[in-house]
Amino acid sequence: MPAQDAAASSDLTASVPSADSLAIETHGLTKRFGERAAIDGVDLRVPRGCAFGFLGPNGAGKTTMIRTLLGLTHATSGTMSVLGYPVPAQRSKALERVGAIVEEPRFHMHLTGRENLRTVAAVRGPHTHAQIEPALKRVGLSERADEKVKGYSLGMRQRLGVARCLLSDPLLLILDEPTNGLDPGGIQEFREMIRAMVEQEGRTIFISSHLLDEVEKTCDAAAIVDRGKVITQGPIAELAEGGTTRHELIIGVDDADLALSTIGASQLVADAHRSDEGLRVVLTGDPKTAAEINAALVHAGVAVTRLEPVRHSLEQRFLEITSRLDGTTAAQTEVQA
Amino acid sequence: MNPTIAVQMFGADFLKLRKKLGTVIWALVLALGPVLLIFLFRELHNSATAGGTEGYEDSLTALALIIGPVAAILIGTDAGAIDSSAGVFRDLVVTGRDRLAIFAARVPAALALCWLIVVFSYLVSIAGTFAFAGSNPTPDSSLLFNGLIFSMFSTGVICVVAVGVASLTNSRPAALTVLIMWHLIASPILANISSLGSPRNLLLSQAIGHFSPLSSGGGGGGGHGDHGVVLTMSGGTAVAVVLGWIVLFLALGAWRTRTMDA
Repeated sequence: MPAQDAAASSDLTASVPSADSLAIETHGLTKRFGERAAIDGVDLRVPRGCAFGFLGPNGAGKTTMIRTLLGLTHATSGTMSVLGYPVPAQRSKALERVGAIVEEPRFHMHLTGRENLRTVAAVRGPHTHAQIEPALKRVGLSERADEKVKGYSLGMRQRLGVARCLLSDPLLLILDEPTNGLDPGGIQEFREMIRAMVEQEGRTIFISSHLLDEVEKTCDAAAIVDRGKVITQGPIAELAEGGTTRHELIIGVDDADLALSTIGASQLVADAHRSDEGLRVVLTGDPKTAAEINAALVHAGVAVTRLEPVRHSLEQRFLEITSRLDGTTAAQTEVQA
Repeated sequence: MNPTIAVQMFGADFLKLRKKLGTVIWALVLALGPVLLIFLFRELHNSATAGGTEGYEDSLTALALIIGPVAAILIGTDAGAIDSSAGVFRDLVVTGRDRLAIFAARVPAALALCWLIVVFSYLVSIAGTFAFAGSNPTPDSSLLFNGLIFSMFSTGVICVVAVGVASLTNSRPAALTVLIMWHLIASPILANISSLGSPRNLLLSQAIGHFSPLSSGGGGGGGHGDHGVVLTMSGGTAVAVVLGWIVLFLALGAWRTRTMDA
C-alpha cells in the first residue's frame, strides 16, 4: 500500500496492511533542523525478512532517519510507513511489533535488568510480561538479570537492549550502530544472533552503521546514505558491483605491453590497465570469457602467471561513492570561489 | 487505554521511584526529620509542654506546610523527569504507547510514594504528640483525622505540581531548584508584601493554607500558608487557586511530553 494513499485515508482503522507489504517504505522523507536538512527527500524500500544495512559515515543522517521512522521526532515533509502502517497516522499500530535501539541502549541504572524490562513490558501491555524470561534467555542474560544495570558491561547493556526489543516479539528490529563498543567476540556473537533472527525466525532487521565490513557480513541488502540522501540501495552483491553486474579480472603476465595490446582491441574487454597487482581487466560480458582472453594471450606468446576474478567489496563501492561526492562538493566549492 | 495497562504503568513508575534510594531517604529525612526535631527541641526547652496539642500543631505545620512540601517536590520532580534523565523516555515512546499515557502514569506513582512517606511521618508525629503530652491536653480524633487529610492534600498538590514542572523543564535539577526556591523563599516573601494586595491570593501556599485544620474558625479563611503569614480568602477562591495551579502545570507538563523530541 503506498504510504501517501494510506496517510490520506480518512478511515485509518480500516486499513490493515498485507503481510507482504514492505517493512519500511518512505517517499521524499525530509527532516530539517533550521536550514540544514538532516535527511533530504529519502525514498527507502526495506523488504521483509532480511537484514538491511543503512550505511553511511558519521553525520550522514542515519540516526535522524531512525528517530523519524519511530516518531521520536517529526518529519518536515514526505510520507513513510512501517510494517505497512502509515506513520505517524497509525504510529501505535505500526510500532506494536517493532523493537528498536536508538543510539546506545539506555536504562534505569538503579534497577536490575529484569526490572528494566518490566517497566517497558508494562507500557507495551499485559501480554508482554510473558516475554521477559524468553527474551533474557535469548540474549544470555538470565543469570545476571537480577543485578543492577549499573554493574553491567557495555556488551551486557547491548544485549539487554536487544532483550528489550524482543519483548514485542518484533517483526521489525531497528538497531542503531549496534556493535559500537563491542569487542570482537561480542561483535561475532551479535552477528550470529542477527542472522539467526533473520534466517530462523523470519524477522526483518534494519541496522544503521558506519562499519562497512559489519554491514557486508551481516546484511542481505543495504542503502548507502550520505549528507541526508540515499545514494543507492539494493542487495549487497549488486551494491558492491556498482548497481550493475560488472566483472573484472586481475591478470599476471610477463609482458604487460604485449598483453595490453593483445587484449585492448578485443570485443570481450571494456577496459584494461596496469595496477599494482598486474593487469586489471574489465569484461564486457560473461565471466566465462576469461578463458577466451587467456587463450588469446597465450596465443600471442604472453605467459599468464595469474588469472583471478576481482571480488568487489562494499567498502570499495562506498568509498567510490563518498569520494565522488566529496569531489563534487570540492568542485562546487571551487566554482563558487 | 485499558485499565490493566494503566495499573501496570502506574506499578512500573512506582517501582522506578521507590527503588531510587537517594530520593526515598532524602524525602523521608525531610518529612520526618523536622517532626522529630520539633519534639526533641520542645522536650529540651520545656519537657512539660513538649507534646500535646501544641506539639502536634507545630509538627503538623512543619509536615504539611514547610518541610513536608519540600519532600513532595523531591519526589514529584523525580517522577516527572526520571525517564528523560535516564535516557529511556525514547524507549517508552517507541513502544507506540501514547505519550500522554506515559505522562499520566507519573502522577499517581509520585503521589503514592509521597503519601507513604507523609503518612508515616504523620503517624510518628501523633506518637510524639501523645508520648510527650504529659498533663497537657491532646488533640481530639477529629483534629487528628483532619490533620492527616490536610497533610496528604498539601503535599499531594505540591507533588503533582512538581511532576508537571519537571515534565515541562525536562530537567530535574532545574525543576527542583525553581520549586524549592519558590516554596521556601519567593512565596513567603511575596506573601509578606502587603502592598501587593489581593493578587497574593494566587500564591499556592496561601490557598493550601486556607484548608488547614489549624486555621481559626475552620473554613473562615485564616491560614498558616507562608510560615505564619495569614491571608483571608473565600473557600471558592482557595479551591480555584489550587485547581488552577494543578491544571496549569499538568497541562504544561503533558504538552511538553507530547511534543518534545524524544
